[in-house]
Amino acid sequence: MHNLGNTAFRLTTICASVMAACGLAMAQEDAAENPAVPESSVSIGLGNWSQDRRQQGIFDGMRDSGVYGLFDLDIAKRNAATGTWLTLSGRNLGLDTRELRAEWLRQGNIGAFIEYGRTPRDNPYTFNTGLQGIGSNTLVVSGAGANALPFSQIELGTRRDLTHVGFYKNLVPGLDFRLSFKNEEKDGTRQWGRGGSTEFAVEPIDSTTRHLEAKLEFSGERLQLSGGYYGNWYNNNIAPGYVDTRVNGGNQAFTGAGVTRYALSLPLDNEAHQVFLNGGYNFTHTTRGTFKLQYTQATQNEHLPTQDIPGLSLAGSPQSLNGEINTTLVQLGLTARPTSQLSVLANLRYHDMRDKTPQARFVKTTSTGHVCDSTVVNNIVCVDNTPLSFKTTDIKLEGTYRLPLGYSAVAGADFRRQDRTVPMGAASTLPNGADDQRYVPFRAKVEEDTYRMQLRRAMSETVNGAIAFLHSRRDGSAYNRTNEAESDEINPIHISDRQRNKWRLSLDWTPVEPLSIQFNVEDARDRYTVSAARPYGLRDGSAVLYSVDASYAINDNWQINAWYARDKTQATQFGQRATNGGAAAAEKDARLEDTGDSFGIGTQGRVGGKTRIGADFQWIRNTNRYPESLTLAGAGSTFPVSAGQTVIGPLPDIENKLTRLKFFATYAAQKNAELRFDFIHERWTTNDWSWLFADGTPYTYTGGTAPNFFDGTTVTQSPKQTSNFLGIRYIYRFQ
Amino acid sequence: MTNRLVAGILCAGWMAAAVPLYAQDAARKDLVLRGDAQCTRCHDAEDNPAVLAIGKTRHGTTADGRTPSCVNCHGASETHINKPADAKERPGPERTFSKKSTTPVAARNQACLTCHQGGNRIHWQSSTHASRDLACSSCHQIHTAHDKARNKQTQTEVCFQCHKEQRAQVNRPSHHPVMEGKMSCSSCHNVHGDNPKQLVRASVNETCFSCHTEKRGPFVHNHQPVQEDCSICHNPHGTTAANLLKSRPPFLCQQCHSHTSHPSQASGLPTGRTTSNSLSGSVARGCLNCHTNIHGSNSTQNSATVGRFRR
Repeated sequence: MHNLGNTAFRLTTICASVMAACGLAMAQEDAAENPAVPESSVSIGLGNWSQDRRQQGIFDGMRDSGVYGLFDLDIAKRNAATGTWLTLSGRNLGLDTRELRAEWLRQGNIGAFIEYGRTPRDNPYTFNTGLQGIGSNTLVVSGAGANALPFSQIELGTRRDLTHVGFYKNLVPGLDFRLSFKNEEKDGTRQWGRGGSTEFAVEPIDSTTRHLEAKLEFSGERLQLSGGYYGNWYNNNIAPGYVDTRVNGGNQAFTGAGVTRYALSLPLDNEAHQVFLNGGYNFTHTTRGTFKLQYTQATQNEHLPTQDIPGLSLAGSPQSLNGEINTTLVQLGLTARPTSQLSVLANLRYHDMRDKTPQARFVKTTSTGHVCDSTVVNNIVCVDNTPLSFKTTDIKLEGTYRLPLGYSAVAGADFRRQDRTVPMGAASTLPNGADDQRYVPFRAKVEEDTYRMQLRRAMSETVNGAIAFLHSRRDGSAYNRTNEAESDEINPIHISDRQRNKWRLSLDWTPVEPLSIQFNVEDARDRYTVSAARPYGLRDGSAVLYSVDASYAINDNWQINAWYARDKTQATQFGQRATNGGAAAAEKDARLEDTGDSFGIGTQGRVGGKTRIGADFQWIRNTNRYPESLTLAGAGSTFPVSAGQTVIGPLPDIENKLTRLKFFATYAAQKNAELRFDFIHERWTTNDWSWLFADGTPYTYTGGTAPNFFDGTTVTQSPKQTSNFLGIRYIYRFQ
Repeated sequence: MTNRLVAGILCAGWMAAAVPLYAQDAARKDLVLRGDAQCTRCHDAEDNPAVLAIGKTRHGTTADGRTPSCVNCHGASETHINKPADAKERPGPERTFSKKSTTPVAARNQACLTCHQGGNRIHWQSSTHASRDLACSSCHQIHTAHDKARNKQTQTEVCFQCHKEQRAQVNRPSHHPVMEGKMSCSSCHNVHGDNPKQLVRASVNETCFSCHTEKRGPFVHNHQPVQEDCSICHNPHGTTAANLLKSRPPFLCQQCHSHTSHPSQASGLPTGRTTSNSLSGSVARGCLNCHTNIHGSNSTQNSATVGRFRR
């Protein structure tokens, strides 16, 4: 897809122009290398992947098997007399991940650059679907029976094309002006859902994001300031701001009985404007004060496009959200070294994200017989937009005392206070005190205190390291009630009462001159407080990491390095399962595990005066376990049953393994030119069941009612992906 | 007379030998930096060519009057340049920057901050890296045109020397394109600053919205954790679950949601084709099969379910 065939012309053109530009430089090669002259290089070659790499090639532009052009350049010319740089650098110019940057700089005076880069993201799965209109704002789903549409294999993915230009000017000594403008075009398709049931859809992506930053930076002996403006704009180029999706042969109206036509909303244009001023002042040689001031206004006031669909929206509801979020940041800091042994730090940070979006009612259904603002609990019939504001104050205090023999002791404390009050009009609060706009209990205030200690040793020739301990405790005010009793029984992970203890040990050991070994151990334990009235959510969690890295210089020409790491996170999660589909009410107890093992070893060295060779081996295994036990609390089946189908649980384990073996060799064909050969063997395996039914057959997107199902899209993932790469490059260096 | 002659010859010889190296330095040309002759008389291309590579860098651009000489960073180092007569070994320079340096970190960093305190480094002293006694030279290489820390393709080699957890995470199946060289740690982190998590912008969300601007909203239907902190659900360094999710649905969603009906379902794989949402919370995209606009929705459809990110 992105192989050499598509890029040959571009390669040839760039090669020709670069070679022309390099001609002068090459002519100067007779002279010995001058240490005061920057080096340049051009690398050109070919590489071939033997098989597709759908998982490992998501981002690297070499997903498909085939031949690729390998072309990089790094040209730096400097006029020593004027200090003027002219640089041109390019990377992956033969691939879809190409990047190119050109800069002209009169150092210390004025400069400008332009750069371009593309980032692909290819979905690793293959979709077999009858969905029509992919990439557009109108999708037609394959219907049932005679309304089925022809199926074909499709691939999804996005491309980000970023262009960045910048300008720099030194105005007076110590005062610089910097201007930066970025324009990113993002195009492609993304896996989506129709939202009705498990029906396949594809989100069309065609958007433009722009960033503009203009700032003045002053740097003096005592005072430093940086202030300016930062703006950010998002424009979605998909009109009319939603995707019209319908089922072939289904009900073609947006409203009414038996609707199969949906309007899926898309992100709307938004923008943010920020003014900022950062500063620091050295009161003395050892005492420094800093500050940050920042004010941001983010808005989203586009016309709401689904308002234009007759009969879809609540009559009289706003045509625009008039969304506005104003964020203020104020920070004051002080660092000092009152004695040569003691240094202290104090920081006060106030971050206020205030959602000024007006509240309005967008939904008012009476289909269930209820009306809004009633005393009815557990039946949301009115939906307002829900502005959210967060006001956070952080205080950080820390002291470091330097002890003899290179030891230092550090003690610190962090205090966080967060006001999370949500604006609730009278209409949003049911007479029983419950909040009828939220599905998850909410806390108006959350507090967290953290205490840290560390003992470290530095500046020893043989053993350096640190041991650190952290303890934190989080709690908050009483929870708001939601409109459903069962929802009130959970402790939401991000605001629940939590106690955290964390240890970290790091050790650098150099037993003999050529050998260095590095050990790291990290152990973090979280415990969440639950109560009889609120028993669900996470109970505890842990994260443990062990790693050892070693490097050994065998002699002046050869060195070897190796590393092993094991990381494991665990979580114990409790929940309730309501009676549903014939299944009994139950308590759930899940013990989730995510384990990573990684090992690597590499060596490189010289063979003779002209040849350098090396090899790297990398092995990575990730294992996820999802055991969940159910304790039934009444009559009924273990799992729900629907139209003859059920689920089989608990979920199987998932294991992903990556093995990668790389060899390289370079041969100095000339003093300033070399040939490089690369060979890579890459193997990735998975038993991920995400796109499988319980019996191992491919999962199938389904809408409608049995036996008249529609859609039928299947998703497949290759469980074993092996590919070999062979590449050769010619690298030419010059000044 | 003879004695005088001998004395005169000795004196002349001493003068010739000792005339002052300064005088010789004055005659000697600088090699790469302004005023480097007193250093490069020894540290020349034969002694250590790598040292002279600073000449290829911005520091070596002598036409820029702000660029340093050797002594600006390493100190005047009088005893190193002129070994005291009673010293057995030549003392080292005043300030050194190698891993085994005995120069206090604050003194090492001050050599850099004298010129580089401005811009993104205004808050260096209150950064986590500073308070952990990291020297600038712990990460940066000065005497080379290709500083690994400032190169997108090699920066992780520097950061992963300490950040082993992140090294393990970036190799998970779902990750940002860091190892592919399209992003670097510094795309999101200002390691010289003191923002939370040393991010480039004031908050997690402000940082994420730099590239994922479509998720900034505000939306008609906001998803509360999205508005607060992307990292409540996502681990940006890498995960096994798709889309950088910290845990797989339905477990992830059930860390906050405990509704009756299908949201409370137990995990398991369906036995066959079904439209039941009570059977579909684990397979494929899990809860997101239907709640597809999970970051926020702008639908105004007059339906009680529209606030649940399905449209």
